[in-house]
Amino acid sequence: MRLMIFSDIHGNLAALQSVLKDAAKRNVHRNICLGDLVGYGPYPNECINLVRNLKNCRCLAGNHDVATLWETSPYGMSKAAKEAILWTMDQLSSGNKAYLHSLPDRLDLEEMTFVHANPYNPKGWRYVMDRKYALRSFAATSSRFIFIGHSHRPLVISKKHWLTVSIEPITGNKEYEINDSRRRIINCGSIGQPRDNDPRACYLIYDTRKQTITFHRIEYNVQKTVEAIQHLNLPPVLGRRIFKGT
Amino acid sequence: MTFKHHGKTSTTNLKQRFFLWSSLILIGGGLLLSLLSFWNTRRLLMAEAMDKSEVILQEVEAIRSYVKKELRPKMVELHGKDAFIIEAMSTTYISTTIMKTFSQSMPSYVYRRASLNPLNPQNSADSFEEDMLDWFEEDPSRTFWQGVVKKNGEAFFISMVPDYFADPCMRCHGKVEDAPQSLIDRYGNTNGFRFQAGDLAGINSVAIPVSSSFRAAWQGSLVLFLITVPASLLLLWLLNLLFQRLVIERLGAMLSLMKEKKKEADTEQPGDELDALRASLGSLQQYVHTARKGSSLQPNFINGYAAGTPITAGAISWLYNGYTTTVEDREKVSIKIGFDEALQNPLYRACFETELNLFETLFHPCLPKFRDRIGDVVILNAIEGESLSCLFGKGPLQDPLVQSIFSQLCDLTAHMHATGVVHHDLRPQILHFDKNKKLTLLDMGLASNDQQPDPITAAGLGPQGDFMYMAPEQIQGRRGDPRSDIYTIGVLLYLANTGKLPFSSKQRSMQKWALQKAKWVIQKEDKEALSPEMIGIISKALSNAPEKRYQWVEDLREDLEKIHSRISS
Repeated sequence: MRLMIFSDIHGNLAALQSVLKDAAKRNVHRNICLGDLVGYGPYPNECINLVRNLKNCRCLAGNHDVATLWETSPYGMSKAAKEAILWTMDQLSSGNKAYLHSLPDRLDLEEMTFVHANPYNPKGWRYVMDRKYALRSFAATSSRFIFIGHSHRPLVISKKHWLTVSIEPITGNKEYEINDSRRRIINCGSIGQPRDNDPRACYLIYDTRKQTITFHRIEYNVQKTVEAIQHLNLPPVLGRRIFKGT
Repeated sequence: MTFKHHGKTSTTNLKQRFFLWSSLILIGGGLLLSLLSFWNTRRLLMAEAMDKSEVILQEVEAIRSYVKKELRPKMVELHGKDAFIIEAMSTTYISTTIMKTFSQSMPSYVYRRASLNPLNPQNSADSFEEDMLDWFEEDPSRTFWQGVVKKNGEAFFISMVPDYFADPCMRCHGKVEDAPQSLIDRYGNTNGFRFQAGDLAGINSVAIPVSSSFRAAWQGSLVLFLITVPASLLLLWLLNLLFQRLVIERLGAMLSLMKEKKKEADTEQPGDELDALRASLGSLQQYVHTARKGSSLQPNFINGYAAGTPITAGAISWLYNGYTTTVEDREKVSIKIGFDEALQNPLYRACFETELNLFETLFHPCLPKFRDRIGDVVILNAIEGESLSCLFGKGPLQDPLVQSIFSQLCDLTAHMHATGVVHHDLRPQILHFDKNKKLTLLDMGLASNDQQPDPITAAGLGPQGDFMYMAPEQIQGRRGDPRSDIYTIGVLLYLANTGKLPFSSKQRSMQKWALQKAKWVIQKEDKEALSPEMIGIISKALSNAPEKRYQWVEDLREDLEKIHSRISS
């Protein structure tokens, strides 16, 4: 079974379309979106519709998704993020609001746990990028793999012993073998706003038979999204970030 | 017999029966335990007494043997053949004198030398000893006796051994004229003579009192019984409370629902709640039968739709062919109608609502499209074709047909699993296949959704559905594992390829079904009829342990597609 895992689309329709076009060639069976369909980007409704209509797809709630529903306050976010959330609130259709409202914050499937940020407090939105929060995440579930997004940086954290982990940032396209018994936290990166200095959209495919995780970086028309951001008077910094991948 | 709603107390026949039987079992168990304890203590006391008495008897025998073999010959050697010093040459005198001294320090141990015709009148046998002398005389092979005897209201454990005269004894116990003068002077010349070698001389016995020990054992058992009874009563009270919460209150709630619907049946029925429930279910079955009969006779109009002949029947709803009445061109539809009687049960209602929710929210070519809902009636797109049970009844299917059916079935199952739904009840009767080779699933009444609480698990119900197609873990009551559906697809795949079911369909218990499934291996004739790849797929899908099966239905589908692409090429 090949499982496509992606996250943090943030209303970037061009990036999402390019990723889905690429994944269609790779004979994927199921899809899991780890949240943050909206926020920052200019096409929230279009992105939600694409994901909703994706075959065999399940989606989780991200911090930007719940902020657009006022389930958490956007005033705790950065200025640009807050402005984009307030704009998105006005754009979302009632059907899509209901869809975002129905999204769960955690999903357990066989030996896998899926969350947007972390499994120990899914709605606390804490980043898992260091040893302390990685160990806390491992302790929160018995699953072999924990798939996360939220930080916008593709990353694999492997548990070595009781208190030691190895942290491996993933750059570019990479096939990662997981045929040992180690437990891992795998961050699938971001489609709509990568922050690892690589502006290409990022997603991964987990092949359960081959026991491999393949990270894919997909080029897309960044200019088109930046122009839409400018056209809609969203904060210009959002356009600069997706250009640079920061 | 009165029932009250859930959460309130109810006094019922079933509860009384449970209480009565539990009391009898617990008190009987306590009594049995006490008796066993007494019996075991008594057995240990007897064994101890036996050991002690045997030691004393062996000691007496050793003394007597020493006198016979060592002391007496030495005295003859020193004092001449005619001398007889009783204190140093009589075995009986010496042994009884030593044991008298012994009994001064151990008064509870009584040693006796008894004879029917003793020299010393003190050694005369009492009535019990006379009986025992007769018993030993009857059969010389009898060399030992032990038992409990009551004397003067006290129980004694007695061990006895017989003693026979030997040649050296004849000097004192043979003819009177041969007896030493000192012996006659001491005991006279009337008793203790005229014996022959080999005659029974007497019996040596040791008696140990056991009354007080038996009394202590009995008191211990009584104390145990007195502790067990209150403990049993406490346990009984807890069990009763548990039974009340888990069974009686729920049963009462269900029965009160049924009683509300059957107000005319106010008269008290004999029997307990289960009898009442059985009677209600019987009446429900009769109602369903009548409803089916009625529905086939004439159309029923529901708003803008008319229901016609039934397509399939379930426990909580039926599916009918139907058509629209509001438009000029009649459009075919199918109509799912929930049974009012069945839906009064909150569990069935929850299952029905889950099913309707799935029809409304799942979108797949193999699911009839949801059109409308009118109360407990759901309007779906028309369903064509015949059920797979009709198709499978015609023998093994051709490969292209197998490919078409299972490709769609796997795709549908993968779609359900991907959205967190496990069907739990896939079977040929609810899968229709039409002329355009389109497969349609008609029923999802037992499905579970991982985003919603499962009503069947919440109600603590056992396995639901058809055991023939059910995975072994489902028979054990587990739900929510997608691999259970993979097992069912394995059964259907076997049926499609061989034209027969993998298991015997005779009615049997859950345990026997589980055992049959655990022992299943592919038969020799099937190995010849099927390709090795297909055997591999079926065997893997029908693995008893879920972890040995295909973990994902997509993997099963890929393996099937490999076979079919090889055949078609």
